[in-house]
Amino acid sequence: MVKHYLPSSFQEALEIKHQEDVMLIAGGTDLMVQHRTWSELPPQFDKPLLFLFNLAELKYIKKDANTLYIGSMTDLETLLYHNDTPPCLKDIIALMASPAIRYVCTLAGNIVNASPAADSLLALYALDAKLVLTSLKEERIVSIESFITGPRQTIIKSNEIIKEIQLPHQPFNRVHFKKIGGRKSDAISKLAFLGLANVNQDHQIDTFRIVLNAVAPTLIRLHETERTVEGLSLEAFKHQKDALLEAYNTAIKPIDDQRSNRTYRRQAALNLIRQFIETL
Amino acid sequence: MKDISKSVEKIDAKEKISGRMKYVSDYKMDDMLYAKTVRSTQCHAKIKAIHLPELPKGYYTVDYRDIPGENFVKMIFEDWPVFAEETVNYIGEPILLVVGKDKAVIQSIIRDITIDYEPLKPTFEYTKSEVHYHYTKGNPKPIFDKHNQHIEYTYKTGYQEQAYIEPQGFIAYLEGERIVLEGSIQAPYYVKNAVVNTMACEADAIRVIQTTVGGAFGGKEEFPSVMGCQLAVAVHKIKQPIKLIYEREEDMEVTTKRHPSKIVMTAAIDSNQKIAGLHARVALDGGAYVGLSSVVLSRAMIAATNAYTIDHLDIEGDVYRTHTVPNGAFRGFGAPQMIFAIEMFMHHIAHTLKIDPFAFRMNHLAKQGDLTSTSGTFRDPILMPEMIKKACDISNYHEKVKTYSDPKVRKGIGMSWFFHGCGFTGSGEAKHINAKVKLKKDDQDVVHLLIAAVDMGQGAKTTLMKVASHVLEIPLSQIRYANPDTDEVPDSGPTVASRTAMIVGGLVARASKQLKAKWAKGKEVVVYEQYQQPDYVKWDEETFTGDAYPAYSWGVNIVEVEVDKATYEVDVKKCWSVYDIGKSLDDLVVLGQADGGAAQGIAYGYLEVMNHKDGKIQQKNMTDYIIPTAVDMAQTETHFIENPFALGPYGAKGAGELTLVGGAPAVALAIEMAINKHITKIPVTPEFIMELMQNDDR
Repeated sequence: MVKHYLPSSFQEALEIKHQEDVMLIAGGTDLMVQHRTWSELPPQFDKPLLFLFNLAELKYIKKDANTLYIGSMTDLETLLYHNDTPPCLKDIIALMASPAIRYVCTLAGNIVNASPAADSLLALYALDAKLVLTSLKEERIVSIESFITGPRQTIIKSNEIIKEIQLPHQPFNRVHFKKIGGRKSDAISKLAFLGLANVNQDHQIDTFRIVLNAVAPTLIRLHETERTVEGLSLEAFKHQKDALLEAYNTAIKPIDDQRSNRTYRRQAALNLIRQFIETL
Repeated sequence: MKDISKSVEKIDAKEKISGRMKYVSDYKMDDMLYAKTVRSTQCHAKIKAIHLPELPKGYYTVDYRDIPGENFVKMIFEDWPVFAEETVNYIGEPILLVVGKDKAVIQSIIRDITIDYEPLKPTFEYTKSEVHYHYTKGNPKPIFDKHNQHIEYTYKTGYQEQAYIEPQGFIAYLEGERIVLEGSIQAPYYVKNAVVNTMACEADAIRVIQTTVGGAFGGKEEFPSVMGCQLAVAVHKIKQPIKLIYEREEDMEVTTKRHPSKIVMTAAIDSNQKIAGLHARVALDGGAYVGLSSVVLSRAMIAATNAYTIDHLDIEGDVYRTHTVPNGAFRGFGAPQMIFAIEMFMHHIAHTLKIDPFAFRMNHLAKQGDLTSTSGTFRDPILMPEMIKKACDISNYHEKVKTYSDPKVRKGIGMSWFFHGCGFTGSGEAKHINAKVKLKKDDQDVVHLLIAAVDMGQGAKTTLMKVASHVLEIPLSQIRYANPDTDEVPDSGPTVASRTAMIVGGLVARASKQLKAKWAKGKEVVVYEQYQQPDYVKWDEETFTGDAYPAYSWGVNIVEVEVDKATYEVDVKKCWSVYDIGKSLDDLVVLGQADGGAAQGIAYGYLEVMNHKDGKIQQKNMTDYIIPTAVDMAQTETHFIENPFALGPYGAKGAGELTLVGGAPAVALAIEMAINKHITKIPVTPEFIMELMQNDDR
């Protein structure tokens, strides 16, 4: 049998995590699938489990003037219907898994699973999300991009738990999200695209973001490329189209797998980028 | 009297919807053991040695050496072993069972088993023919010589997985000396006959009982015989109840699927721009064992001209052996592959000749009295012209064709015409099946339908009970129809081939009439009926000549799509259908068949992708094998035109498979119009559409 802990407070969870090498489990929608065995037998874990999903103190959505704070055990369905959730994140959640799964899966779980095809990460990358990583002794804040280092790889330490996700408020008046799954719902992405921009009254691009998943070992966001177009007028921006496409074409390294192939992933990604650029 | 088409509440709806219904995986017995299959990890290899760990007390292995009779699963072609002996021929081929009480212990035993293989060279191409059929109609050779305009296209289709909700499963136990098998099956007598052969025992030593089936789609026609034989051998050896239930991934990786195919069509065109002669060469990938692939091949070949009449035919086909999972029965049974090919081919000929495809097809449409592909006769009225008109009117087809033919418009509309022969192919019903039914009225005046037909969700219980109820003029509550048990019911044949409503239903109607005449209140009365082939149906199995089926159902599907310019994804907007199934035995039941058939048939054409890599199935769970969700499913509008068939109950013909076979060509033709490229392969995935659009030539 698997040993497991059901802490009654975040403090207790941190203490257990400090003392013992345990696996954290939130909604379990990835872990229970990854560790399944023969039906009627319990899933097979090689470490004791520390359940976090019952911790009410980690289920919250709060904001102040600059930032939205999301408790790490907030389920996706709550985020989908909350007034303060950024629209692009809502668009993404609406196409993730199925409602039943969304009621139990958490944003933090999706982050630490660190799948190259994770959809929620599109918004977290684009919105410069920060993660609050807490251990018994200290707390540190890291950017989502520095947190994920490869497929299923993060910098989280063995005594740390994600306490909170912070999203700085940023205005975007151009939002384009497109998920390509094998079908219209309940599908893992072949690839997905999120384009965000803010175009001001003088028709200048203040901010410009493009994030892609499932075309490289981690999600793709090109900060330097984005900076080359920020501040440009829409007119000047149009001349940058080929250079932009070339930059993304160079950065993406898609693969063949059971869901799609590299040629398609590359072409569809470039088409979506072109479409976003042309409709700004 | 009430119209039988009027819907009643489905007999099993409440029990299923409430979750009360028990399926085989819910069954528990005292001293019950579990079995798990140890399978080949090689696609083609010699087994050099099997190293078993020391087994704890109460744990067993079962392999080919335990088989009392012959080591093959009796179906049509006798080549499919119960357990592998010296060589393995596909990844997942069963080698032995590990049996015991505790699943965790079984798993650890399996982890400790090692098998030494000596790899052999595998074949994955269409090179090794195991079955070859050939037939002609008219005089194709001189026709092809005389008309020298020949048009040729090659069509390819992929795997399709049945994706029933309930995976394959059985529980088996001893009843005295007899072996009882209860399982999720479509054909109780197929299992019984196969097990009798494997056990080398008397027929009455084996009893097979159908448990409630959670979907089958052909996947539980012949495959359960494999599991049934293995489990019977195990129970015979161990003498305790044993349960064998497949996990989803195991089921998807190792059970039978729809045959991938390659079909080469060649037409000789005459001076009136009509098809004077047709040559078709059909290649089916049978997988490692032929099983019943030869019968799938015949149905495919007979459907070569689909709903058209062509006077001169030369039709050849082969089942090829490859080192992949064996393919088998799946709703449509060879017809979906062939109907995709011919429907696309009719359009591709018209495009080549630069004439209107609609007019070209109308010129070839079969009429009552015409000779079928096998030189039988379409005896009954064919209502296709009015069905086609109706489908075109409700979908605004002709107008949309004009608008969407503009290459800049990424929308398309496609129409398929099709038929499906009801019942077994050729002399199957009369010679091989010879269906019997039994009706018993007990002394409480309750009528029991004792038939081997299985309700696998399609509604057979509801429709067949309605037939008896209408003939006997008694309420449904006075009729019982238990899951078939071979101790109780005669062999009315397997529940396949769109035969249940028409053939078994016809026998139930006749038996009910007989029972009505012999009705004696408060006394037990038993009546029997047996299938009799109508005298006019003649079939020569050797030459494929004569009436291949006693009757045909007909259909028209129209599908409208839009293709995304950036992602090449297909959005199926709507599906309009008009069917002639003779007479509906229950409007909601047949609508269920129509909607489900459309979903499965259309998805076969554009959505469902399954392939193997060096013999290993790549999509082995419901995450990777994509079937449509409710969100993907197009809105449907479906009409039924009555055209009663004299020998079907109340005029009913087959409906189960008909509704699937036209889906793929309809959606492929719609996509073809949207992207303005010829499509010769399904599924038409976004990846394939991209490839086509990057090629400039049409």
